[in-house]
Amino acid sequence: MSQTSTYVPEKPLVEGNHTFGSLTALIGDITEKPAPTWWYIAFGISNLLLGLLLTMIGYLIWEGTGVWGITNPVGWGWAIINFVWWVGIGHAGTLISAILFLFRQGWRTAINRFAEAMTIFAVICALIFPGIHVGRIWLAYWMFPFPNGMQMWPNFNSPLLWDVFAVGTYFTVSLLFWYVGLVPDFATLRDRVKSSIGAKVYGFFALGWTGGNRQWQHYEKAYLLLAGLATPLVLSVHTIVSFDFAVSIIPGWHTTIFPPYFVAGAIFSGFAMVMTLMLLARKLYGLEDIMTINHIEKMNLIILVTGNMVGFAYIMEFFIAWYSGVTYEKAAFINRAMGPYAWAYWTMFLCNVISPQFFWSKKMRTSIVASFILSIVVNIGMWFERFVITVTSLAQDFLPSSWGYYSPTWVDILTYLGTFGLFFTFFLLFLRFLPMVSMAEIKMVMPQADPHYNESKGGHA
Amino acid sequence: MSTAQPNTYWRSLNELSHNDEYKRFVDREFQANATELTDGYSRRNFLQIMGASIALAGFAACRKPIQKILPYSRQPEFVVAGNPLFYATAIPFRGAVTGLVVQTHEGRPTKVEGNELHPDSLGGTNVLQQATILDLYDPDRSRNILLGGESKTVAEFSAFCAEFFTSGKRVAFLSEATSSQTVSRIRRSLSSRFANSTWVTYEPFGEENALLGTQTVFGSKLRAIPQYDKANVVVSFDNDFMSSGPDSVRAAKLFAKRKKVMSTQDDMNRLYVVESNYSLTGSNAEHRVRVKSSEVAQVAFALAAAVGADGFSGYSNAHSSHDILNQMAADLRAQNGAAVVVAGDDQPVSVHAAVAAINVAIGSVGNGVTYAALPFTDSANQNEAFTKLISDLKAGSYDALVMVGTNPVYTAPADVDVKGALSAVGTVVHLSTHVDETSAALPATGWHVNRAHFLEAWGDGLSYTGAESVIQPLIQPLFGGLSDIEVLNLIATGTFTAGHDLVKTTWGTADWREVLHDGLRKGTSFRAEAARTASGAGQAVRSLADGAASVDGIEIVFKPDSKIYDGRFANNGWLMELPDPITKITWDNVALMSPATAGQFGVEYPRSSILRAPADEEPMVSITSNGNTVELAIWVVPGHADDSITVYTGYGRTHSGRVGSGQGVDVHPLRTSGSPLFTSGTVTKSSNTYSIASTQDHHSMEGRPLIREATLVAYKANPTFAPDLVKVPGPIDDNGQAISLFNEQTFPEREPQWGMTIDLNACTGCGVCTIACQAENNIPVIGKNEVRRGREMHWIRVDRYFSGDVNGNPQIVHQPIPCMHCELAPCEQVCPVAATTHSDDGLNQMTYNRCIGTRYCANNCPFKVRRFNFFNYPKTFLTEGTDPEVVQMAMNPDVTVRFRGVIEKCTYCVQRLSRAKIESKRETNSVKPKDGSVKTACQQACPSDAIYFGDLTDSNSTVVQTKRNERNYLLLEELNIRPRTSYMAKLRNPNEATA
Amino acid sequence: MAQLFPEWSNRVPRLLLVGSVLLITSIVFFFWHFGSHEFLEVGYAPQQPIDYSHRLHAGELGLDCRYCHASVEVSAVASIPSTQTCMNCHTQVLPESDKLALLRESWTEGTAIEWVKVHDLPDYVQFNHSSHVNVGVGCSSCHGRVDRMEVVMQAEPMSMGWCLDCHNNPGPSLRPLDQVTNMSWVAPVNQFELAADIISKKNIAPPIYCNACHY
Repeated sequence: MSQTSTYVPEKPLVEGNHTFGSLTALIGDITEKPAPTWWYIAFGISNLLLGLLLTMIGYLIWEGTGVWGITNPVGWGWAIINFVWWVGIGHAGTLISAILFLFRQGWRTAINRFAEAMTIFAVICALIFPGIHVGRIWLAYWMFPFPNGMQMWPNFNSPLLWDVFAVGTYFTVSLLFWYVGLVPDFATLRDRVKSSIGAKVYGFFALGWTGGNRQWQHYEKAYLLLAGLATPLVLSVHTIVSFDFAVSIIPGWHTTIFPPYFVAGAIFSGFAMVMTLMLLARKLYGLEDIMTINHIEKMNLIILVTGNMVGFAYIMEFFIAWYSGVTYEKAAFINRAMGPYAWAYWTMFLCNVISPQFFWSKKMRTSIVASFILSIVVNIGMWFERFVITVTSLAQDFLPSSWGYYSPTWVDILTYLGTFGLFFTFFLLFLRFLPMVSMAEIKMVMPQADPHYNESKGGHA
Repeated sequence: MSTAQPNTYWRSLNELSHNDEYKRFVDREFQANATELTDGYSRRNFLQIMGASIALAGFAACRKPIQKILPYSRQPEFVVAGNPLFYATAIPFRGAVTGLVVQTHEGRPTKVEGNELHPDSLGGTNVLQQATILDLYDPDRSRNILLGGESKTVAEFSAFCAEFFTSGKRVAFLSEATSSQTVSRIRRSLSSRFANSTWVTYEPFGEENALLGTQTVFGSKLRAIPQYDKANVVVSFDNDFMSSGPDSVRAAKLFAKRKKVMSTQDDMNRLYVVESNYSLTGSNAEHRVRVKSSEVAQVAFALAAAVGADGFSGYSNAHSSHDILNQMAADLRAQNGAAVVVAGDDQPVSVHAAVAAINVAIGSVGNGVTYAALPFTDSANQNEAFTKLISDLKAGSYDALVMVGTNPVYTAPADVDVKGALSAVGTVVHLSTHVDETSAALPATGWHVNRAHFLEAWGDGLSYTGAESVIQPLIQPLFGGLSDIEVLNLIATGTFTAGHDLVKTTWGTADWREVLHDGLRKGTSFRAEAARTASGAGQAVRSLADGAASVDGIEIVFKPDSKIYDGRFANNGWLMELPDPITKITWDNVALMSPATAGQFGVEYPRSSILRAPADEEPMVSITSNGNTVELAIWVVPGHADDSITVYTGYGRTHSGRVGSGQGVDVHPLRTSGSPLFTSGTVTKSSNTYSIASTQDHHSMEGRPLIREATLVAYKANPTFAPDLVKVPGPIDDNGQAISLFNEQTFPEREPQWGMTIDLNACTGCGVCTIACQAENNIPVIGKNEVRRGREMHWIRVDRYFSGDVNGNPQIVHQPIPCMHCELAPCEQVCPVAATTHSDDGLNQMTYNRCIGTRYCANNCPFKVRRFNFFNYPKTFLTEGTDPEVVQMAMNPDVTVRFRGVIEKCTYCVQRLSRAKIESKRETNSVKPKDGSVKTACQQACPSDAIYFGDLTDSNSTVVQTKRNERNYLLLEELNIRPRTSYMAKLRNPNEATA
Repeated sequence: MAQLFPEWSNRVPRLLLVGSVLLITSIVFFFWHFGSHEFLEVGYAPQQPIDYSHRLHAGELGLDCRYCHASVEVSAVASIPSTQTCMNCHTQVLPESDKLALLRESWTEGTAIEWVKVHDLPDYVQFNHSSHVNVGVGCSSCHGRVDRMEVVMQAEPMSMGWCLDCHNNPGPSLRPLDQVTNMSWVAPVNQFELAADIISKKNIAPPIYCNACHY
């Protein structure tokens, strides 16, 4: 028996009629040819910013936490805001590689390597802050359980402690996942590279990969398992980060909606960051064939969806504040929208809720300029979201007598700038020495990889 | 622990006072070190004997440095290393002394408490008394006798005195107000020795006007001594008697007695206040009439007329509603004598006269108020005498000027040329604790004699009510230094006699031991005068009344600051950083004015932005009067009289020391001898701005049930109005408590369970608890800029809220906020390293040495009582300057000094609790001290006994009684955090007739 | 094509894996052991200005601890004796000894002798002698056999953990009150009953919350 159906072929994930070889060349050459001038300029700037970061941290440790703008009602300032922001950005990578992998989303192969790298570097930037924001940095190790003469354990009730472990785990797994994905490509590079040192280095990391059948079998299994392991982490990390706030009793923090709301926000900002970087890389390295408009559109759709989730959360918070009938809760949210920090709140609302709406139109979704601008706007918005949550809630809590106003110092600002130095230093090195697209995986989704490729062209094998 | 057996430590005093053992001990312990002051090393050793190696404290993470132990060479009697001793003494201020009990650790005074045996202390203290310890250890104090800047020895000075002050010399004496019997004794010999000498008492804000007022009415200078405990109704004309005046402690104690409403049966007193500036006393009033300071007189006259006081019949004023005056009058008359009317020292003579007349008219003399003649005052008008003296000095009618204390170059009105007088007379002796403005202005032949602090020198004096008190030293002068009686005696006799002998001569030896035991001669007080209206008093008063003219347009009112007074305490960091009770401003003086008046200068109130950023600056006004101009920041005080600007004196010092110099603005240039209290002036908006460090910006309670208040009538109708206001939501567990997600604390039977109750009805908001806590717990001073950032370190703060129409006549409520020691403390749940946990005796413990400073606990504290050491504050406070060890001596050895990066907060004075528990365990074998045997610093200092503290497991303890009181309620109870500190709702007793 | 790496390099990954685990554990152990009070503090015996022998005074002559450390029963500190205390005897005993020159100087000049602190707890630790000796904790329990020390040395780690060991289980360190200063006292066979008795009589429940010692 037979059935008829109209078969709509999906857009090819790799355009420009590449052969396997030309694709390998396209990606591999970047790591082998001398770096373009812009790379050196960008790397120089990043290093300067990195130096700035280290200077600021040194100054902080020498002088004391007082060099920051934090004060009595507002005990957490930019440090925590930046921490949450960077961790959030660090979400896209594992999501793309793990969850999209399990959902068999072929298009992920163009960006997963890239996103994972971004994830790892973002989490490194984030991890700096919990370390340096404490008053006695030289004792921060007390947060870890270890045998000691005081017979003291850390307080396992504290969300801050959960946080340390959650982010730590997430970082380790992401790194592992990324590395495993890299192994076959290391081998490719090992075999392509001219210099013997290069060969040895790549070879070392390639773990003796030969591309044999059994190796591929094991590899696929390992990759699948890791993906399964990483998937829950994507959700857990930001859930636990949100506990830092949700578990406290401060109005505006003490909210059950935080976990899903934080995760959505994290994916939101993560994809935006990937978008920003991808658009640059694709232009500068001419990878339009691999990172196609099709990819951009798919990502913009995710940004649109998560953006609306976040928007929903914002509105829900207000509803609950009113519905709960708690004086302090109500006041906290009225203050957010109309209080001294209203400017921050509405910036956030504009960037995170209004701006993604443009992506309802296909024209916008597929416009490179629009995507680039909006992706940056979104991350500005997400930074302000963390600012609003952290600062406004603390500035005006239960007793009006202790209300205060927080404003950052130059140290706060320069430290934040510095983290970009750290991030881009790592990222540029990644672009320079590692294949920014998974050569192994991308080939699987090439039209040419389809066994029926020639038939579909009507020819004969 | 000031309740330790008196006989032990008092007896020690008798010994100490006059045996060689004592002298040797003193020589050994202090004189040696005092001379070694510049030698840091030996100073440090000295400190280690005291076991207070502050500089090393807090370096928790570092390897310990080698420490030395330096035992005594000869063990002084009664000194047990590690256990404090307590001695009775008295603090002189503005012509009255107040009894104190001072704690010493191995001979080092560390804490001041009130003397319960003393009628003017009754165990309480005020901010000035609490802070005096820091004055003692002020490293900026003068350390030498100086002649034209050259340092001289005591011998050289004595030689000079012997040789210069020959009998017959025309000597002028300019003294601060003093009630010392020994001074009076020496004065007699002085006047006999120097025939043409004159003695002038000079206080910029003294009680002279009050005395002249009574002189007008009664024919002789009498001091009005209000008996607030006997008064059902109190009317105050611009008299801030609850603040830091010479009578404030007694006043607060007695006044509070009448505010202790423990059941619906109890009654309470009623307070009317007529004033321009919103004073602390005004904030405790049932009815507050706000009029310009210069118009208070007319209101007083009107009231006098209304009560039918002699000489006022038919007087009427235009400055306040007559209804309230008539109600006041009716209320006063209805009390048949159980009422008192008082007037502020910074009101003109006429007001005091009127008030005296009123008191006579309502028959409160001998009941609500008594009048007493002061043995040490001169009948002449001292205000006039001062200006005359200065001009006489310039005219060269004196050979020498001797100044006992006082700093006239700074405090004198602008038109009085003190500097000129000093250079004219040439030979000047100025006894002063600091090289102040006056010492600095001395001519080349002028002697500056460094003065000993009262805790360093023998002295005596009469309390406000006339109790004969003795001032005995607790330590040898740290920087040498002579006392007033020593210098005066030196001038009178030409030979130096030790203060102790001088005082002893005055007092005789009969009851000396007992006197030293109690700190005063029991049962002594001024004789109450009959105080009959003198003939023709009526006309005299009336003429004063008709003569009194109010200031048209904007008036500028001069007030002594409630903390640094006329500037004499300007170098005291604790006082400088203590928030003003009403404005909450630290480190500065401002131009206080009403919203309407501020509106004239384009200042909107309330501000559009409800919070001030640290960077925000206040607009300024430039005030021109008497040819001089000063610029001050505008500060709006709702309830301040319109067209009136109040400025506090004492700021803008140039020679006060590291702390006080250059803080704020000197407003004395605006004062003239003609109008020293209030004056007219032209006020214009200035283009400049100025940054103010205020610890509380928000004036409104936002309708939250934080301070619960009712009228006495409403309370009697519904006694549980306060706890009824809020209920904890959610299900209830078996013990009738709302269930909690937190793991609940279980408290063992054997341990006491500490708890505190604060009676908002008794609390006046004076802020002495803050200073007492600072002194007890080694809380650092952090400076204006840090306070501006909102980083003040006080463990107990007093919140102030306005209620009612901010543009009209709003009321003020005060609420002291220490750590509540919640049983389900939110801070404890979130600390990642378990640095803050709960103790078996129910304390919310803060373990500094475990804290890593995430500040999560501070964020999660709903009361925001946790303080963070953003910088190494103790370092800057305790180890800067030439010899920081001096300041370190003020520290309490029982309390760790906190290092940078750790959180700190109220501990319920755990060091006291711990000591009490150990002693109790030793004596009774139980760690539960008996009720009242342990007090927290704030509780002990509070002059209105608003703070109750004790063991909640002892059902008979006073604190349990207060917890059972119907007015008792928990702050933020709905959070179900179960605070151990609770509040008793505030009551007001308004006159029904006004309703 | 030639092999990049020799054959043994196949084992490197596994070795790295095992090695890193070992490394981390050994680092933790290193600090735990060599950073401990047991290692750093015990045996600290600084040179004192006067070589005063506890072995002689407390041991051979059998002076009671409280003769010199007089305030131990009533105060937080045991207190170092004043020069006076020494001179009570040394005006007659060895009045001319060179060893005691410093002592006599202190006596005549009134200067203090600068003893070096041996048992030096951090400033944030509030230890109280009286609350221990009055419930039957012996001197030697914390200070060791001082009567056998020529120069005083720290016998116990005096770390927080060490304090807690006893606060959690006071029994073994308790003795009859009259034996507190007895250096040679050893727990009898019936120590268990003895301790139980003292605990109930003195109703001993050592606090183990922070504020007991830190404030």
